[in-house]
Amino acid sequence: MIPTLGHLAMVIGLAATLYAAGAFIVGARSGDGAVLVSARRAMYGAFALVALACLAMIISLLTHDFSVLYVARNNATTTPPFYSVISLWAALEGSILFWTLLATGWASLVLYRYRNRLPALMPWVGATLALGAAFFFAVMAWPGDPFVRVTPVGLEGNGPNALLQNHPFMGLHPPLLYLGYTGMAIPFAFGIAALITRRTDEEWLAVVRRWTLVPWILLTMGIVAGAWWSYAVLGWGGYWAWDPVENAALLPWLTATAFIHSSMVAERRGTLRIWTHALVIATFTLTLVGTFLTRSGVVVSVHAFTTSGIGFWFAAAILVTLGVALGLLIWRLPELGDRRPPGAVVSRESAFLFNNVLFLGITFAVLFGTLYPVIVEVASGSRATVGAPWFNLVNAPIFVALLFLTGVGPALPWGGASWTTVRERFAVPILAAVAVVVVAWALAVHGLAPLAILGLATFVLVVMGDEVLRGARSRARGRDESLPVAVVRLATRNRRRYGGYLAHAGICVMSVAIAVSATLGTDRVATLHEGGTLTLGAYTLTYDRLVVEPLASDVRVTETRAELTLAGPQSGPIATALRDYPNSATAIATPAVRSALGEDLYVTLLSYDTKAKTVALHVFINPLVSWIWVGGAIVALGALFAIWPDRRRLAVEAALAAGA
Amino acid sequence: MTSPLSFRSLRWLALPIVLVPLGWLLFTGLGRDPRLIPSPLIGKPLPAFSGTTLDGATFSSASLRGRPAVINFWASWCPPCVDEHPVLLATGAAHPDDLAMVGILYQDTADGARNFLVRYGQGRWPTVLDTSGRIAIDLGVTGPPETFFVDANGIVRARHVGPLTTDEMRAQLAALGLAP
Amino acid sequence: MRRLALPIAMAALLALAALVLVDALGPAASLTQDEQAAQIAGELRCPDCQSLSVAESQTAAAAAIRREITSLLESGQSPEQVRQHFVDRYGEWILVEPRSALVWLLPAAAVLLGTGLLAWWLARGRSVLTPTIEPASDRIRDRIREEVEKLDA
Repeated sequence: MIPTLGHLAMVIGLAATLYAAGAFIVGARSGDGAVLVSARRAMYGAFALVALACLAMIISLLTHDFSVLYVARNNATTTPPFYSVISLWAALEGSILFWTLLATGWASLVLYRYRNRLPALMPWVGATLALGAAFFFAVMAWPGDPFVRVTPVGLEGNGPNALLQNHPFMGLHPPLLYLGYTGMAIPFAFGIAALITRRTDEEWLAVVRRWTLVPWILLTMGIVAGAWWSYAVLGWGGYWAWDPVENAALLPWLTATAFIHSSMVAERRGTLRIWTHALVIATFTLTLVGTFLTRSGVVVSVHAFTTSGIGFWFAAAILVTLGVALGLLIWRLPELGDRRPPGAVVSRESAFLFNNVLFLGITFAVLFGTLYPVIVEVASGSRATVGAPWFNLVNAPIFVALLFLTGVGPALPWGGASWTTVRERFAVPILAAVAVVVVAWALAVHGLAPLAILGLATFVLVVMGDEVLRGARSRARGRDESLPVAVVRLATRNRRRYGGYLAHAGICVMSVAIAVSATLGTDRVATLHEGGTLTLGAYTLTYDRLVVEPLASDVRVTETRAELTLAGPQSGPIATALRDYPNSATAIATPAVRSALGEDLYVTLLSYDTKAKTVALHVFINPLVSWIWVGGAIVALGALFAIWPDRRRLAVEAALAAGA
Repeated sequence: MTSPLSFRSLRWLALPIVLVPLGWLLFTGLGRDPRLIPSPLIGKPLPAFSGTTLDGATFSSASLRGRPAVINFWASWCPPCVDEHPVLLATGAAHPDDLAMVGILYQDTADGARNFLVRYGQGRWPTVLDTSGRIAIDLGVTGPPETFFVDANGIVRARHVGPLTTDEMRAQLAALGLAP
Repeated sequence: MRRLALPIAMAALLALAALVLVDALGPAASLTQDEQAAQIAGELRCPDCQSLSVAESQTAAAAAIRREITSLLESGQSPEQVRQHFVDRYGEWILVEPRSALVWLLPAAAVLLGTGLLAWWLARGRSVLTPTIEPASDRIRDRIREEVEKLDA
């Protein structure tokens, strides 16, 4: 009964989105307000219908209704309620259902917020979003139906994917990522609408900027949370493996970041319209490519979804999307071109543009590396791959240049810089960077990568600090304010700039943490008998006993746990385990992580022998890893600060609207 | 230099330049299995191996010579191996004399393997324990089930990754010159 | 003094860069057999899991390959011979990194090309730079912002 209801909701949802798309187009051409209202309501309805379908799926999962194939494959009677609920997005069909929920949710939000604004653009925005949603409904109606039934009904299901039921973080990072992915459809829809209606103006750019930043923040948090999940669950001591799934999230993030930067030049100078459109189109297309990569079985990945016929649908969708968007852009090309570059070679504008070249360079490298196996296979029939060392080595120099620009950009004036400015702004930051590198070296930090990143991060932070102080001092002098008050007022008067600085500070923190943790960690593998000890750095681990018992939360899972006593920093008992799930050939690691601000102690159980009571442990000291998460949070906070509604800006908008 | 007219028409070339290669890549990429890796052993002599069987006997790959041979890597923990097992049993029964067969246990315990054979049926061929994993390495095995087809002269003719169906088995045997 | 600040900073930077480079590119310490084994394990793909190297993976097959690397090194084979040993059996696929130089250089080439094109565009623009007329709406906006600032002060 409930699954049938869910299925029915999806079919009606498909009809609703198709109606909405048609009505938006008719309304756009005729300007008939009643038609547009009905189109909007159809989209709200579609959102309600997917919500209903999701609810039906969650109920089916919670009640272990094994007549639904998805439930039989991804749930068992012993699955704890929390993991039953999040199984909604843990496998292919469910993840598409959840995706559709978020996509229609975003669409409804935007259509509601702009119901009385941008009358020329909104019908086309609605039509684009409705067609996108219709595609996902169609996927669910044909190749990816989440409510397929089975007979005879089994008494027990397969249980959720072992990797995905091992850590509560699974409840957090996919929703964040999906919110980010699906949100990128909004700037794309505004892009299409602008190309159709020839309104690539300042107002359009402001809306698109805002609606790129919102999903960008969620995508950033999703990527960082995903890295954290990988660190806490996969048990190999690292947080980023350049796996296709990770790359799929990074690619749209890179082009969206490039857009956020170049849109500032575009807004200031009224130029770069082709480039702006191209980035918006690329970002959305890359979210589709990412979905395609992880759901079609084209590339193998640690947590790719099962192979399915959905791949052909997504491949077709990518080609149609790119074809239509690119076609529209080419059509309008003669009207969008720039006659002149926006600034001098040494200017803030050009720093932003070189920044874009570098972001696109990283995008190209990551896309090329991810698709390399497919390219080689299609071109020569042989097999080859590129792995993490390739990605690291190829991207590191580009990233170093990018970090350098992060420091240079804010210090250069708009339009063009003179030598006097360069001399004034850069001498102190460069000296500070040199001093920090020398001190780090004296403290035995060696290696090109960590020292270079440390120096550059210092350079960037000092340039920004100098900028803030300069602005605050002049404000304090002019208005007779104390310096701290002046800093706060300055920041809240220009949220975008200082929010951006905060995000850059977060990037600096992350960069240093990544460079140091990737190059300066140590690790050791040892096989221990009961009572045996292992020493690494300041830590000494004593292996007390091996415990084999079923998991309290799910009795079908057997946990083999090495109980250890840690002496040294953070001393006390710790345990690291391997869990055997009935539906997984390989045991799933449950590493013990002792986090501190300076370094993490990370202990995984590699293997064990229940007869001899021996365990093989892999122990890592990972310096500064905590700062990666802290840096990620700072980036998100900075961006949030930048887009926080400014009442004074609202006053300006109101004044403009009244004047117009 | 370029007249507006030619620019206006030429710019449309960007569309096929982007879409055609991308479409080709996406669709041809879809038609293949990323887990299938061509074996460098095809056309080369089978690497020699030996080991202890489940029954405690000694097995040497030299004993495969003179007849076509099927070498099957399997494990009791691998669900596709269960699907494949009846195909192997039928092949063993259909070719009692003109085909050599050997199973090689992949990262599994002898007890687990014995239970599997009791449950799903014992074939006429021996299963070699590959305790150190070296036989799997020497044949470049990526995971069970994986099956090698070797001709009577000891040359590797084909490798199949994943469970064999009756039809696939028949086709491979026909390529080795065995009538169904 | 102010005029000298940047030259001093640049000189310090160059001296430091030279020192760090000498430190980083100096003669690498010769590796022990265990370190060699770990290095090779890091260059081989784990056959039955994806995207991880043999050094990082916990599967039994990866453990078997690690043992095999050690025993091959102990039997006196050079690291290159050990790598080839696995390539002969699994194919080039087993190498985490491709051997083709093109693959390594392509991203750098793309970035250089993009940087060159942008620099050319910016430099060309300088010679034809005409006095710019800001869009009127921009000026109005700036004006209103200024007015609001004044009100605030």
